[in-house]
Amino acid sequence: MESLSQIRKIILTLLMSGFALLMIMPFIWMISTSFKSPADVFTYPIQWIPSSLNWEHHIKVWSGADTFATYYLNSLKISLISTIGAVFLSAFAAYGFARIQFKGRETLFLIYLSMMMVPPQVLFVPKFLMFEWVGIYNTHWALILPGMFTIFGVFMLRQFFLSVPSEISEAAFIDGAGHLRIFFRLILPLAKPALATLAIIDFSWHWNDYENALVFLIDKDLYTVPLGLQNFILENNVDYNGMMAAATAGIIPMIIVFLVGQHYIIQGVAGSAVKG
Amino acid sequence: MHKSWMKRQSRLGYLFIGPNMIGVLLFFIIPAVYSFYLMFTDYKFMSPETNFVGLDNIRRMLNDDLFGVALRNTFVFLLAVPVSMGLAFIVAVALNKSVYWQKTLRALYFMPYITSGVAIAFVWMLLFQPTSGPINGFLRGIGITNPPGWLSTTEWSMYAIDIIWIWFMLGYNMIIYLAALQEIPEELVEAARIDGARPWQTIRQVIWPLVSPTTFLLLITGLIMTIKNFGIIQAITQGGPGNSTTVLSLFIYQNAFRYYEMGYAAAISWALFAIIMVFTVLQWLGQKRWVHY
Repeated sequence: MESLSQIRKIILTLLMSGFALLMIMPFIWMISTSFKSPADVFTYPIQWIPSSLNWEHHIKVWSGADTFATYYLNSLKISLISTIGAVFLSAFAAYGFARIQFKGRETLFLIYLSMMMVPPQVLFVPKFLMFEWVGIYNTHWALILPGMFTIFGVFMLRQFFLSVPSEISEAAFIDGAGHLRIFFRLILPLAKPALATLAIIDFSWHWNDYENALVFLIDKDLYTVPLGLQNFILENNVDYNGMMAAATAGIIPMIIVFLVGQHYIIQGVAGSAVKG
Repeated sequence: MHKSWMKRQSRLGYLFIGPNMIGVLLFFIIPAVYSFYLMFTDYKFMSPETNFVGLDNIRRMLNDDLFGVALRNTFVFLLAVPVSMGLAFIVAVALNKSVYWQKTLRALYFMPYITSGVAIAFVWMLLFQPTSGPINGFLRGIGITNPPGWLSTTEWSMYAIDIIWIWFMLGYNMIIYLAALQEIPEELVEAARIDGARPWQTIRQVIWPLVSPTTFLLLITGLIMTIKNFGIIQAITQGGPGNSTTVLSLFIYQNAFRYYEMGYAAAISWALFAIIMVFTVLQWLGQKRWVHY
């Protein structure tokens, strides 16, 4: 009996591993193709391990006029500032919604809720006009400033703050602490895992954000990684190895972030959907 | 004393929410209101004057063949959601308990979801290459002499996008299903087993009904997520060949930023909002009916 279930477990593991391999096959193919010679791109059966390692495609991606180094720096700048701003501003607002009783709180929260329904397409045109009018269209500010406000972040952290027992802050109140002190000294330190989760999820959104960059950026030297990638591929549309080297460059940072923050990302995604 | 305390509380409340509220006002509420106004104008970028045109944009939309095409393509795009969920459910049940390397396998399935965007779009473009791409190479290998042209043909392009989207969403759906499966009390599954239920019977009659609220939630949120997305399609096909992959969200982008028909684009984007609204109301009604079992 015991060994039967053991065998079943092994078979299932093999089956699921096979399917998992199929899922990541595009990535493996991408990396392997980026090292192939042009003649070997489409040989069939697929050459998973290139006959010789060609680094030239990767070198091409990282050098030249429009290099991925620029795109990386731009993406990093935008993603980091947006994420830090978003986490801090969301935490502040979430504390207000979760822990302070004030007039109009429910109505305000309802307005926040309704804004989640509005598709980004509704906002593109007015934002475009607004940014042009203020003079931040085609600058990184057009991505950073709106990026610092995430309604999802407020929801997620509010949920977390609600789950912190009220006895903790009541004790501090009796000792004469105000909301500001309680927020900074008590709640924020307690919320570290939730803040980290939001930071990682938010960072990945900014890093992968293609739509906003597409609408709000024109100059090549301002391009983020997704736009830079598109640009590279449009300009080299028959250089398949180069395309795959560029795609690899675009994906690697997120894979690293994922490997480091895997636990948080998966938990955050699961938690936000189940609780939300 | 009490009154002044309330006042102080209110002030503090606004102090905390204020900074975020300013941003939400500037980048969500005002643009939304302004877009609502634009829907009733003939605003074109760079044109000197803007007129109030009433319902003209909406009328134009309803008579626009391309709008119909985009709507139909959007529905074909949405087919990916239930398919991806079905696969994700199977994977989640398998990965819930009875395998080795659980964590690694979960991470592998989830990987496409975090590497979203343009990079994977281009990888799939080459995989789907009709004459010499690996997917058709494989299909020919197993004896299909005339495999589909995928992204290069109008009949297949939207389905090729569906395949990419199924692949992309699978990990996300799986994680949510896993979270739901872990909430199921061990005793229930155990009881079914003692009663002699076979594994697939347990899945169909115990597990599947118990995760139905999750299924509903995933379906509705998945539909909303899919309906908003256009990045993957813009990167791969730009809506082509012909207009075979022009979905509503991409159609809005094209009208606004390719043809500079801002007023018209605003009208279509509110149509998109209306569809999302329907899904949201469904979800709200559904939650009442499904969530407490």
